[in-house]
Amino acid sequence: MNIYQPTLMRIESVCDETPDTRTLRLVFKDPAMAERFSFKAGQFGEYSVLGHGESTLCIASSPTRTGYIECTFKKVGKLTSALHQLGPDDLIGFRGPYGNHFPLDKMHGANLLFIAGGIGLAPVRCVIWNVLDQRDRFGNISILYGARSVSDLVYKKELAQWAGMPHLRLWQTVDPGGETADWTGLVGFVPTVLQQVAPSSDDTFAVICGPPIMIRFTLPVLQSLGFPPERIYTTLENRMKCGLGKCGRCNIGSVYVCKDGPVFNAAQLQDLPPDM
Amino acid sequence: MQTRSIKTKELSALLDQLRAAGVEIIAPARAPGVGRAVVYRRVSGFSDIIMGVQPRGTLKEHFLPASERILGWRRGGAHLELLEASTDCAPRIVLGAFPCDAAALEVVDAVMGWDYRDEFWFNRRQATIVVSIACDGGDESCFCHAVGLSPGSTRGADLMFVPVDGGFQVEVTTGRGQAWLEEHQEYFSEAGDSTQAVAFQERATTRSSQRPRPHMESIGRWLKNNFQHDYWDQLALRCHGCGACTMVCPTCHCFDLVDEPEGPEGGSRRRNWDTCQAATFTLHASGHNPRPGQGARYRQRILHKFSIYPARFHELLCTGCGRCSRVCSSGMDMLELLGEIHDMASITEPTTSPEARNEP
Repeated sequence: MNIYQPTLMRIESVCDETPDTRTLRLVFKDPAMAERFSFKAGQFGEYSVLGHGESTLCIASSPTRTGYIECTFKKVGKLTSALHQLGPDDLIGFRGPYGNHFPLDKMHGANLLFIAGGIGLAPVRCVIWNVLDQRDRFGNISILYGARSVSDLVYKKELAQWAGMPHLRLWQTVDPGGETADWTGLVGFVPTVLQQVAPSSDDTFAVICGPPIMIRFTLPVLQSLGFPPERIYTTLENRMKCGLGKCGRCNIGSVYVCKDGPVFNAAQLQDLPPDM
Repeated sequence: MQTRSIKTKELSALLDQLRAAGVEIIAPARAPGVGRAVVYRRVSGFSDIIMGVQPRGTLKEHFLPASERILGWRRGGAHLELLEASTDCAPRIVLGAFPCDAAALEVVDAVMGWDYRDEFWFNRRQATIVVSIACDGGDESCFCHAVGLSPGSTRGADLMFVPVDGGFQVEVTTGRGQAWLEEHQEYFSEAGDSTQAVAFQERATTRSSQRPRPHMESIGRWLKNNFQHDYWDQLALRCHGCGACTMVCPTCHCFDLVDEPEGPEGGSRRRNWDTCQAATFTLHASGHNPRPGQGARYRQRILHKFSIYPARFHELLCTGCGRCSRVCSSGMDMLELLGEIHDMASITEPTTSPEARNEP
């Protein structure tokens, strides 16, 4: 099998997160492939709708939940529009897993702070469930999640689950103007809210993902809270085709996001040229 | 390795025999149709071959075609079947590769084999004997000498032919080349007097080394430290982003993967050459573009060749063939640009004098 050959996955179920954001639960059509497949939190795949092309999306489910993978996507382009047309039992192509992963081994015993904006919760959610499924290996867990408006919050059922969990702090926020009359969460942009709730950086790793502008303004807040850049992890996205270090389009300087990433710490980001 | 010789008549007979045995022969020859430019193409015999003219297209298209099918699919109702594309390649010989084009194959091997092995590329590489013909020194756009090669460089070639009266002196450069020569040894003769071949190589080296020789190490360092520099904006005023330079480049290997439906029942996924000079190359679906301007895109081309590839694969992604300069409609000349960067580097690195690049 050549390296560009996808395998078929069947859509098991569809969950509409928001009017334009959807989560697909996928299972391998070939049971042998399902048996063989494994991945680590933070890795990505190339998903294809045959006739429409391929697109790069993270694996949004946790590696601790076996037998399926999930991807969450927003309908914005050609491939995601085609993907949005599909329903249960439809078949799609998949290649992966590719790229590096979050260093969970290094985080054992430490506290974790997760920060996500909008659909950026997808890769973070993979780590959150991975950690929750191995709860005794980690310290305190805090989650700060923000979206433009209440209707833009993804994984609403899971947010409710997390809110009810002991030893887990969850702050939910929406941008000013995005709140509804019955909204009980916070109002404000993620960096501002982070400054207000000021979580401790003691023995804590931060995992952050969201729109570039959110990441840009959140990093300085984390540093002012005492997080060293080596303890702040994020996952980058860039347009990709192969995911294998061949097609030459995801470079940031001499870094290949597909092979050196997509997971980087803030110290590594500081060394990258401003090509993002 | 051995040195032998072959007479033109014998070479012609050898090609006929190879063709009869089902070996595909790829050589510089006139393309059919308008313009009749010299390109590397499949030929039927020695008489088709045009020597001494650098082909307009590169050899890469016989290893990484401009467009190739990498997957098929067939649909019927709820049924969907993926059809694997063959990566097989029948035996081939390239006769008359320019040394810069042969070297490029070996340069690109590094990325094609990086952790994930591209079988389309490597099965073609393994099925192909590359015979290059020593270059006579090229033209004013050539700069192989500046990137560590020469008109007589044997890199990437299994055998190297050097033109002499009535035929070629033959240098064997790889074990594969040696085995191939032994298989066909009845066509080859003893090496004999090497005076003519040596003289040809010396003439070529003299011609090529008269051109400027920018210092690639200091250029590499300058590129690393000057990601943000007015120079890129200045280049953007000249470059209009057509991407022709990337299409004719023997080492540019960036590609796109595109689905082409062929009716409602099926289609093909194709790998097509792509260019970092197009705005869509890095455009995200969200509308965000990490390289929104031509300056950033031209910088990427220079960086990929002279900074990124050396950092990752320890060699330059350029063999100095000069095609990018010849094809550019706004007259951007790579050797001239490298000279400009060399000069800027010499300001920060006094050991690199501006004059040094013009010293043979």
